[in-house]
Amino acid sequence: MAIQGFLVVSLLFSCLAATSYGVTFSSLQESLVVTASPKHGQVLRAGEDNIVVTWSFNKSLAAGTDSSYKTVKFKLCYAPVSQQDRAWRKTEDHLNKDKTCQHNIVTKPYSSSNNTFTWTAERDVPTATYFIRAYAYNSADHEVAYGQTTDAHKTTNLFNVQAISGRHVSLDIASICFSAFAVVSLFGFFFLEKRKAKKSQAK
Amino acid sequence: MWPSRLHKKLYVTPQSTISPFKLIAQAAECGQADCTRSQSVLRIWKSLKLANIQRLSNMEVSYGAPPESVQKKFALPVDSEHKATEFRLFSVAAPHMRAFHLSWVSFFACFVSTFAAPPLLPIIRDDLDLTATDIGNAGIAAVSGAAFARVAMGTACDLFGPRLASSALTLITAPAVYCTAIANSPASFILVRFFTGFSLATFVSTQFWMSSLFSSKVVGTANGVAGGWGNLGGGATQLIMPLVFDLIHNIGATKFTAWRIAFFIPALFQTLSAYGIFFLGQDLPDGNYSQLHKSGDKHKDNFSQVFYHAITNYRGWILALTYGYCFGVELTIDNIIAQYFYDRFNVNLHTAGIIAASFGLANLFSRPAGGILSDIMAKRYGMRGRLWTLWIVQTLGGIFCIFLGKVGSLGVSIAVMIIFSVFVQAACGLTFGIVPFVSRRSLGIVSGMTGGGGNVGAVLTQVIFFRGSRYSTETGITLMGIMIICCSLVIMSIYFPQWGGMFCGPSSKVTTEEDYYMSEWNSAEKERGIHMASMKFSENSRSERGRRVESAPTPINGTPSTYV
Repeated sequence: MAIQGFLVVSLLFSCLAATSYGVTFSSLQESLVVTASPKHGQVLRAGEDNIVVTWSFNKSLAAGTDSSYKTVKFKLCYAPVSQQDRAWRKTEDHLNKDKTCQHNIVTKPYSSSNNTFTWTAERDVPTATYFIRAYAYNSADHEVAYGQTTDAHKTTNLFNVQAISGRHVSLDIASICFSAFAVVSLFGFFFLEKRKAKKSQAK
Repeated sequence: MWPSRLHKKLYVTPQSTISPFKLIAQAAECGQADCTRSQSVLRIWKSLKLANIQRLSNMEVSYGAPPESVQKKFALPVDSEHKATEFRLFSVAAPHMRAFHLSWVSFFACFVSTFAAPPLLPIIRDDLDLTATDIGNAGIAAVSGAAFARVAMGTACDLFGPRLASSALTLITAPAVYCTAIANSPASFILVRFFTGFSLATFVSTQFWMSSLFSSKVVGTANGVAGGWGNLGGGATQLIMPLVFDLIHNIGATKFTAWRIAFFIPALFQTLSAYGIFFLGQDLPDGNYSQLHKSGDKHKDNFSQVFYHAITNYRGWILALTYGYCFGVELTIDNIIAQYFYDRFNVNLHTAGIIAASFGLANLFSRPAGGILSDIMAKRYGMRGRLWTLWIVQTLGGIFCIFLGKVGSLGVSIAVMIIFSVFVQAACGLTFGIVPFVSRRSLGIVSGMTGGGGNVGAVLTQVIFFRGSRYSTETGITLMGIMIICCSLVIMSIYFPQWGGMFCGPSSKVTTEEDYYMSEWNSAEKERGIHMASMKFSENSRSERGRRVESAPTPINGTPSTYV
């Protein structure tokens, strides 16, 4: 017991979490301009409505800034109101710990202008308030830049997605039927029990 | 009149429990108040001699034992009350082993249903738009219902028998599990978890049923294995539900539909187990309560007396508190651990489920081991050994809980969690090594109180540490460990006058087990002779003195004082 305890303690000290090498969000440059079709406060239905995203390189920055960009990944990210009291959506500066953007939209090869695509909100997107963010990756697959549809405080151009409930009429009916059956058989039990007792008394 | 009525119930067998010669000697020795039973046996002996039954001089006489032809109908060896004296795990013989298997399977099913939601929470929280507060409240709701229900279940078992009580409860909570599939908001989610949680009261019916069917030599093992294997459900569900969900999702349902369909599995399992108990189970070796009540073979005790003696015994309250910090902690971990691993270490749902399952699966051996360890310590050191072992094991559980919250890497975290689970579950088994000795008359209610205390501990712990976003989950776990250590200190205040406590030996006034257990009966009740089961029990409990059994003082005459 004591040896096991000592082993555990020594393993503990040697393995205390050290933050591995990772890119931080604050080190990224906002060099992409991203706009999306939903207006602020618009409600989209998951699985049905489309989003049109237009993106390009920010021309006001120096010309060679985007030389390392190889691919761009688009993600659906939670707005602060949907992160409240939900630690599993928390924003962290270290990107490999950051949980703000959990839904991938699409990955595109980088090109500096005239890019659009249309995306249908998938059926497993939960009900929440979102914005769209794009990360630019270099050839080593590390994030080097980003762009987003909202401002730095994440207050503008936020849209809502209404998820599917997952309920179906057949499920509802099955639940109610089985429940009713359980309650009815309970009364059946009591009735049977009374009958058995009467029979043994009559004997 | 009196001898002939008893004559009808008296059977002659080669086996016996009390030699009539011993009783006659006692009858001669002791004073008026305590000898009702001995006197009546003396009269029977005289009447039988008068009836010229010669063979009685070679055989011995016992109460209620059946003739040889009746005894042969049990597959297991039984004692005079028809309770099995052996525990054969791989037999399904009626009524003893069959009842054992039915009761642990249905308790297992109830655990699976109650903790079916936690492993799927990463999906459910997105579907129903739950906040951390909602999830915390649902976890609290799941364990709070049974806190009261467990006490009520003890009474229900007394009145209706464990078979009807547990099958009724299991069946009435099944609709809550079916309706989890149609929950559509945080409020409805909390409600279904609340009603599903009532099914955890089947713990009391399991322990009660085992105590009715197994003799004191094996009741500890039967209770420990039934309790432990039922608790296994809390671990198994963390494996079963993600698997079922994956299967349904791969067949083609979307995530938000797949989790709903998955809930039908535990619901059906629970319904079927209730049917099994009703049709295949039997309350007592001789029949079911309803039949025995009508035929007058079973005596009903006075509920208010039983209740009074349960709540005025401080030891029951202390054990209820400490059980809250071993079993309550187990329930809390069942609720939070899958989400903890999913969120902190970024494993997928399936993996988080497997890790979480290994916590509950340790119940396969650790809770029975706790019960067995309690019995081993009692053989050498008596009740004091049981108390010390409980305190040490539970405190070690608290220490490993503190580590669990501090560890930051996945592998070490899993290892610490498993060690922690073994200690915490063994402490549960050790607690129920002590509970049967707290009270004999009110055993049902004391067991229910202790069991209910476990749930109260789970509620308290989740309210303080795991609700909302005040503490991160890892901080909550560490603080819970500190609370375990502090609350386990009260074990030091348990004191049995006849055996002692952790720091004190037995009372300097000569006190016996009979004094302690007989103080639960008043003289009017003793006149009617209904205290005899307690008398028998106090004789058997002399083994709690440890190695000092040989020097045991015999009961002396005079009115025993009441020990509270």
